[in-house]
Amino acid sequence: MIELLVTVFSTTFFVTVIRTSTPLLLATLGGLIADLSGALNVALEGMMLVGCLTAVIVSVFAPWYVAVLAAILAGALLGAIMAFFHLRLKADIILVGFAINILAAGGTVFALTMATGGDKGTSINLTSKAVPAVDLSFLGLIPGIGNFLVRMLSGHSLLSWLAALLVFAIWYFLYRTPWGLWLRGVGEYPAAPEAAGIPVNAIRTWSLLVSGGLAALGGAQLAMFNYIGFTRDMTAGRGFIALGAVLLGARHPVGALMAALLFGVFEALAVVMPGLFNWIPAELIRMIPFVVTILALFLFSYRAMQAQRLRSAGH
Amino acid sequence: MSMTTTAELGRQARFKTIRREAGRAISAALIALGIAFVIVLFTSEAPLEAFNVLLTAPMSRPRTIGLWIDDVAKLTVTGLAFSLVFQARQFSMGVQGQVYVGALAASYVALSPLGATWAGIPLGLAAAMLAGALWGFIPGIAKVKFGANEIVSSLMLNYIAIELCNFLVRTNLPKPQAGVLTSNNFPETAVFPALVPGTRIDIGLLFAIVAVLAVWFALYRTSWGLKLRLVGHNASFAEYSGIRSTAIMVSAMTAAGALGGLLGSMFVQGQTYGYLTVLFEGNLAFEGILVAIVARSRPLAVPVVALFYGYLRQGAQLMNLRTDVPSEVIGVVTAIIILLVASSFSLPGRKLWAKVTGRSAIPAGAMETHK
Repeated sequence: MIELLVTVFSTTFFVTVIRTSTPLLLATLGGLIADLSGALNVALEGMMLVGCLTAVIVSVFAPWYVAVLAAILAGALLGAIMAFFHLRLKADIILVGFAINILAAGGTVFALTMATGGDKGTSINLTSKAVPAVDLSFLGLIPGIGNFLVRMLSGHSLLSWLAALLVFAIWYFLYRTPWGLWLRGVGEYPAAPEAAGIPVNAIRTWSLLVSGGLAALGGAQLAMFNYIGFTRDMTAGRGFIALGAVLLGARHPVGALMAALLFGVFEALAVVMPGLFNWIPAELIRMIPFVVTILALFLFSYRAMQAQRLRSAGH
Repeated sequence: MSMTTTAELGRQARFKTIRREAGRAISAALIALGIAFVIVLFTSEAPLEAFNVLLTAPMSRPRTIGLWIDDVAKLTVTGLAFSLVFQARQFSMGVQGQVYVGALAASYVALSPLGATWAGIPLGLAAAMLAGALWGFIPGIAKVKFGANEIVSSLMLNYIAIELCNFLVRTNLPKPQAGVLTSNNFPETAVFPALVPGTRIDIGLLFAIVAVLAVWFALYRTSWGLKLRLVGHNASFAEYSGIRSTAIMVSAMTAAGALGGLLGSMFVQGQTYGYLTVLFEGNLAFEGILVAIVARSRPLAVPVVALFYGYLRQGAQLMNLRTDVPSEVIGVVTAIIILLVASSFSLPGRKLWAKVTGRSAIPAGAMETHK
């Protein structure tokens, strides 16, 4: 037990948490944008997966930033497909989302087989690149806490810093700009913005595009930093956990950050625990993020329901 | 108007609906296959041969026909499970998890002393259906009591069930030798007897047929089914008319869970396995989404769709074995069919065809509102 506490309160664990949280946070932010515009995006998982594969394959031939951009575009393209079928052809958004997931699960393996010349499992024989880590070792010059700051803050993925920035940017966009107000209005009660002449469908389309782009950016972090390379189904339910994190974060960007960090902590625990407690079966450790997500979802939904009841009782 | 005329009109309308839906499904499948063909054309060295295998191989030998029919039985059951929850307008995605817990329960029964008696099959089935029902009940009750989104909770339960199965197979169930990830073979009394000797067609097929009839009866000939369909149509209206919609939702998810559990038992107690192994399900459970959507969640249409889709699935497996095209290309076909059938797409040539033949495809009154 002591070893676990020592590990959890170490700076290396903090670094692991940031690493495991970043893909979750990016996908959660993507889910949040779609959810606020009134479209529950169950395709986050598939979009992440396509982001992973696109980033890996493009990075074989191009610099890392081109690969990341390509992943974002691929995710946005999937968002566009969702928007087309949901908004233009009136298909149910959840069914469309699952169709995208099926497309991604099969399509990535198909594309991987083609790219590797027959390997259906991994991209191990492709030399893909990584997202650079941000080196802040100059902080070490600060007397006293400099060393500590370097260990905490240096060496994170560039995309981790971008994700943190995006939390603030999305908050600003949603609550301080007219477009953010429109987006929230469209999700809350579409008839009113429609009557006010706000282009409801255009806003929903853009939300799904951005949602797909963000989820795929999370995928790029996963396949170009957390792991280098692609393995089939490598997202392993992270997109669905992100969907839970949207609900758990009370549909707010800061809440999304908190929820993503919470799930990141448990994923990081699942990373460090096998080394500490080799008597705990690996299967049970792998189960942790899913158990935590479902319990957190139950608890949070229950509390939200209670709050709702209290509020309506007060009227 | 006499009763017979009303019945006659009703029948005509029904046939018209069936014709229209079948036409849409077939055109969606053709479009999807066309797109897949283009992909194969660009990626394969022998695209025509690959497509030939995809479309003809399942019929070629008794053995492959057996594989196909076995798949049809399983696709039917998962399609029924999804149809039940879709009819109640719930989006529980938990069939996969139910399959795993059902298979675990069936395996524990089959490998217990009881498994070696006549009770091996009925008790295994019952245990599997109970376990599946429990796994389906959890997201339902959590939605009703806590307001927890059933999509997220059922998906989490899928992952939990898979890891649970991995864990118990590795550590707890009796095994032929240490280190392998399969259980002992079940005693003969706990394995479904084959209907056609030498193939994988076993009495699981009969269970699937019974399940179709049972779900049809429950949905269209009982008051529970009427309430369920009302809840699915308009939950708040159903609530106003005195139906406890929450109880209906939970019972629909639980019943669907029992079907998922049944599928688990059909997997491990069937001729295909006869033992429990990790990841035995091969992503079949989620194919129920396609089956249910194309069948419009109608129980009697589910086996028909399963028959066609199972053929395609088998064809893809054989194409994977015999040519350079991976079976995963079928995922593209599946996704396109779901997208097209779930949406209000209509064939682009339809209006043109109507003009050419001089018949109006759209009723005159609808024309103005359409534009």
